[in-house]
Amino acid sequence: MAKNSAKEHDTELLVAVAAGSRRALEELYLGYHRRLARFLSRITPRYENVEEIINDTFMIVWQSAKDFRYASQVSTWIIGIAYRTALKSLRRQKNHAAARSLDELPEQTVDPMSETEVQDWLTHGLNQLPMEQRLTLELAYHMGHSLEEIAAITECPVGTVKARMFHAREKLRVYLPNLGGSASAWTASSG
Amino acid sequence: MTTISGSGAPIHPEISALLPWYVNGRIGERERRRVDAHLTECAHCREELAREQWVYRNMNAETPLEYMPAVSLNRLQARLDGIDAANSERSPEGDAAVAAAEKPRRRSMPWQGLMAASVAVMAVALSLLAADRWMQYRARAAMSAAAPVYYTVTTAVPRAPDESIRAVFSQAITLSELQGILDEAQLRIVSGPTEAGVYSLAANSRRPVSSSLALLRSHAQVRFAESTAVPATPARTTP
Repeated sequence: MAKNSAKEHDTELLVAVAAGSRRALEELYLGYHRRLARFLSRITPRYENVEEIINDTFMIVWQSAKDFRYASQVSTWIIGIAYRTALKSLRRQKNHAAARSLDELPEQTVDPMSETEVQDWLTHGLNQLPMEQRLTLELAYHMGHSLEEIAAITECPVGTVKARMFHAREKLRVYLPNLGGSASAWTASSG
Repeated sequence: MTTISGSGAPIHPEISALLPWYVNGRIGERERRRVDAHLTECAHCREELAREQWVYRNMNAETPLEYMPAVSLNRLQARLDGIDAANSERSPEGDAAVAAAEKPRRRSMPWQGLMAASVAVMAVALSLLAADRWMQYRARAAMSAAAPVYYTVTTAVPRAPDESIRAVFSQAITLSELQGILDEAQLRIVSGPTEAGVYSLAANSRRPVSSSLALLRSHAQVRFAESTAVPATPARTTP
């Protein structure tokens, strides 16, 4: 129910943006900033870049709102713009930080059972994934998108999203520690 | 007890492929029932589910990073203001041109007025041409003057030659606290803060950057700190 009203509110705001309301753009911006910043920080660790990608995204939202046909959700559209803007800027900078192979990783020495280490461990594991795989996980697990929504955001076939998700999980499976080798261990060590 | 094989592929790939959407609650009802039924009889997939839930929970843990949307929103507003200003300088002439172009279509003019109207339209067209040239010149000048107001992701940000760390401090930090942290980390401010509150810092000694960085990050008053050295990494293609 709350989710639906949030979607409706987003739609109302975008309609107002399309009509030229700067106030609506501001509300949309503030509503999405945290989500996008968290998402984009998985792409680039530089806070300045994250901010600039968000601003570039909302410049496009401002200029293209009148062309949006509401065939998808507003959130899917905005996050898709942010995704493509980020990839474009990174390609320009030739800074694919995630392009390292898991094979090159040094052996981990941190204690995976320690509460304080779990976050770092997972973050480190995610950072080793190729960017598209990492972002697929982020879109699904942190942002809660469905398979079809991720396909729309990334402008990829559903099969590609499935493949990225599969490879991301496989690599994480290899990378993440064997926490005692049992389901109870995974449950016990959750953050 | 089922053992997780670190590199073992899922033994039920179809169910395994559904687990991410089962975990994030975005699976279809029919598929959810299918997974539910399978999980009651498959310990291996229960194990896999537990691992996915672990990743899901930890990816949703609170981040210590604080974001500053108000500052960056101001920069976006400045960009939009620049565009609006450029557009508003153009619009009066543009409207006049549209009006001038539309009027002859809307009215059927008597022959005796046509000659005078043609002369008037030619005069308007000539003045619009001159005005358009003038506005193009003004717009280019305005855009080049407005350029330093913001950076885009592709703009090279000027950087102090000896900068080694960039950091953002808590807004509540006092000057003496800031100085204390910098002294402890053997750093000095070379520039900043930017509009986003980012300071550029340089080393005061031969202390390793990683050590200063770790010290900065250990302080609660430091919201964000990173080395400005970008490690080179080989490219890799993805599926």
